[in-house]
Amino acid sequence: MSYNFAKGIEVLDQQIDSRIEAYFSSCVHCGLCAEACLFYTETSDPRYTPIYKLEPMRRLWREKHTFWGKFLIKMGLSQPLKEQDFADWETLVYDSCTMCGRCSMVCPVGIDITYMIRKEREGFSAAGYTPVGLQEATKRALTIGSPMGVTLKTLKAALVHVEKSTGLKIPLDQSGADYMALFSSMEVVNFPEYIESVARIFAAANVSWTISSEAFEATNSGIQIGSHDAAKEIVSRVVIAAEALGVKYVISPECGHAYTAIRWEGPNLIGRAYKFEVIHILELLDQLQKEGRLQFTGKTDTPLTFHDPCQIVRRGGVIESPRTLLDSVSSGFVEMTDHGSMNWCCGGGGGVSANERAEDLRLKVFDRKKQQIESLGVTTMVTSCANCRIVLEEGIEDREMDVEVIGLTELLAEYLMDNSTPAA
Amino acid sequence: MRRALIPHKGYGIGDDWVFYLLILIMLSPLLVMSTASAESGKNTQPIQIPNPSADLWREVRQRDAIAVGNSQVKSADSGVLINPYGDKWRNFRMTQLIPYGGYLLAGMLLLLIIFFIVRGRIKVVSGMSDKKLFRYSLYERTIHWCLAAIFLFLAFTGLILLFGRSLLIPIVGQEFFSLLASASKEGHNLFGPLFAVALVLVFFRFVRRNIYQKGDLTWLLKGGGLIGKGHVPSNFFNMGEKSMFWMLVLVGGVIVGSGLVLVFPVFGQGRVLMELSHVSHGITTLVMIVVIMGHIYIGSVGMEGALDGMTTGYCDLNWAKEHHEQWAELCEEQNEVIMEDEVSRLQGDTKANSMPSSLTQETGQ
Amino acid sequence: MIGELIDGPLWYFAFGVFVLGVIYRIISILRAGLKKDFSRPRAEGSAGALRTLFSRFIPRRDVATRGRLTVIAGYLFHLGLFALLIFAQPHVTFFSERITGFSWPALPYWAFIVSAELAFIGLLLLWLHRVLHPVTRLLSSIDDYVGIGLVFLVMLTGCLALAQAFEPLRLLHLFLAELLLIYFPFSNLMHAFTFAFSRAYTGATMARKGVNA
Repeated sequence: MSYNFAKGIEVLDQQIDSRIEAYFSSCVHCGLCAEACLFYTETSDPRYTPIYKLEPMRRLWREKHTFWGKFLIKMGLSQPLKEQDFADWETLVYDSCTMCGRCSMVCPVGIDITYMIRKEREGFSAAGYTPVGLQEATKRALTIGSPMGVTLKTLKAALVHVEKSTGLKIPLDQSGADYMALFSSMEVVNFPEYIESVARIFAAANVSWTISSEAFEATNSGIQIGSHDAAKEIVSRVVIAAEALGVKYVISPECGHAYTAIRWEGPNLIGRAYKFEVIHILELLDQLQKEGRLQFTGKTDTPLTFHDPCQIVRRGGVIESPRTLLDSVSSGFVEMTDHGSMNWCCGGGGGVSANERAEDLRLKVFDRKKQQIESLGVTTMVTSCANCRIVLEEGIEDREMDVEVIGLTELLAEYLMDNSTPAA
Repeated sequence: MRRALIPHKGYGIGDDWVFYLLILIMLSPLLVMSTASAESGKNTQPIQIPNPSADLWREVRQRDAIAVGNSQVKSADSGVLINPYGDKWRNFRMTQLIPYGGYLLAGMLLLLIIFFIVRGRIKVVSGMSDKKLFRYSLYERTIHWCLAAIFLFLAFTGLILLFGRSLLIPIVGQEFFSLLASASKEGHNLFGPLFAVALVLVFFRFVRRNIYQKGDLTWLLKGGGLIGKGHVPSNFFNMGEKSMFWMLVLVGGVIVGSGLVLVFPVFGQGRVLMELSHVSHGITTLVMIVVIMGHIYIGSVGMEGALDGMTTGYCDLNWAKEHHEQWAELCEEQNEVIMEDEVSRLQGDTKANSMPSSLTQETGQ
Repeated sequence: MIGELIDGPLWYFAFGVFVLGVIYRIISILRAGLKKDFSRPRAEGSAGALRTLFSRFIPRRDVATRGRLTVIAGYLFHLGLFALLIFAQPHVTFFSERITGFSWPALPYWAFIVSAELAFIGLLLLWLHRVLHPVTRLLSSIDDYVGIGLVFLVMLTGCLALAQAFEPLRLLHLFLAELLLIYFPFSNLMHAFTFAFSRAYTGATMARKGVNA
């Protein structure tokens, strides 16, 4: 891996905008952000305090933008940011932070620490101080088109399987369709039931949709590693394909960071608004149900709860749709005590699950999720992010729990009231 | 953080008990003298020529009892022209409280110095180890140091008010002293009620661990291990510490009560009540300062390993075994011993880039 | 002579540094700039900014429990300080004579004392927490300690001068307050002003996403 400290400093400095200046000016080191952070609460290690993870950026701000910072450097009484600081902070910035956003919700002076971590990662990735796993995932995403190495061939194979079991035709490269669906590699590889569920639901609701063979990947590891260039490249593929097909909407699937990438960051990465709108699959299903185009029959009475994927709920704004939809097919739905926009992270977002070095820590902090589930006494958990799903399943296995994790769209498809499609 | 709940042990305050006795002994002349002066009437020579107004003035002067008359001014004690106890009170303060109080404080300081020279710093016999026990939570340490800081400020300002005239005026002159006294009075009055609040918090938090138990009397009879070699088994707090706690609460209660009477003279307190409050405030605070001097000594310089618990929250296992054996055993039974580097990690002393070793050993638990 | 300096030129200097410094800091925050957000918002940012500006005064449930000492002591200190700073009679007189030209109703004396006591106990507890809690001890810098120290000294000297009978005590209090004013714009005491900006920025961004933050 090649390091470029000077570039790292340059990029890091470029990130400092009004928001970050206001934030660093307001922080009085009260420590309350730590009380909201999964990594601190489960380990009691003060180094995992969210604002502490921003030390390198804070020090750069101080030495370049404040009176005392500039003065003390000039007097030789203070040290400027060194390359060793990047090396020292890499694990804090990448292994112990999923950019879940809880800290941003509780800061008394309103600091959006998550936003700052995202920006700090730009500096770190420019300097080259990023986890190996993430670097490789990003490389695969840029060269192959998917961080997990999923090719069009792999996707087509999965689609063939779906077509066989549903008897439906999956529209590929359909120009003029209303919706273009994206999928995350994790879904294609590990949870292809999602694709099948979507196909069946769209057929039942008579949705005009398509998949683009040029751009079907939703995941954006550029966002996770913190590389503006990589993130932009990956998003651009989707934008170009969607605008070429002339679709009205692009559907973001059950993947957390994919939603953040395409819905909120994408337009700013390419520097303009899209010629289409982005809608999350859950928002769409909720809408279809409200319009009467999507109907369910029967409900499950299994006691179950919902794990809120951070990037979709707290950082994405899709808070009510999953609940409304769950209520339509479940009578035993109970909320976790901390639910909705204050639910706890699965521990694997933000690139942490792609980072082997962080595995022990990730499994340790799963204790919080474990405690949430156990205090409810349920053995079924529904979620709507494929990465959360795999991370939760790994945590459940590690802690030897007996809990089943289900995808929400998959669950909805089970209770679909439809006459035209033969049952799966 | 879990801790062994029942009987914990603290660091040795036991030596204070010997000094309490000394204090009582030293105070008794004070008590004797003040009662004596209250009782002894003045031996007046009968006047040869009868003064026609003698009866009138005798009543006004109220040598025999306080008689309340009528006055246009309506407020506390406004019907009492001259208060006979005032002079006695003033004399007590000037000729007894101040000098004997001074001797008491100086004596205690001297005793502590001699004790340190003779006995030295009480070391942990088996040496400090790399194993720690969780002793005081963040809340407990916060309220302890809050109480301590407020106490020190009140003691400092209070001593200026008591001894300033005799000790400071010769050094700084009258004008500066009046400024100093005014500042001390304002500071003392403002922080007084805060001491009450802190005392209440400390009481509720620590009262359970200070209930006297089996083994406490033995500890006392053996002098708490203070005199001579050897340590005596004890719980979370030893007998000496428990007694200091109760002294703090009871004497502290008198201090707070008398202080509140003094600082809010708007509830109809008469002069006698104010004088009594002042006397109790003066005596009890001096007693408390003396006791706290011992407390500070033994908690810092006097004993190795004593301060750690109240600063970091963790104490050394060997120290606990020697001074609070029963509590230490209880903690060991309940698997609450923590390694030094885990304590270090929890304090945030590990380097930014190192992964905590304890995590890699985690199993699904 | 020193008294005249403290009451006169030093006061003007300190106050000037304070006002100009605060304005300068706020302007430099605004000048750093914000890139335009091209994503399609769910709601107006300005409503969210206003909402979050006030909603952050109430801490979230689980953090309020875990961090209750900070929350309680923090409010005791801040509310006590504002009450006594703005509504204590000696201060009202001072401000009306030297700054505003008009005065406003002051607290009765007993309320002034109670506010001072709340402020003191709050500050003492906050400082002890900062020193004793591993998180705040790790985070805290000299700036934090100097800020707390100066505020405490100003409060203390104010208390010592309560009898309002000794010029040197009043001057000491004023002098320390002047030092505090000079130190203020170059420290994180600026949070007294910048908190509005940080809350507003976050509130706006989150509201655009449709989240009440």
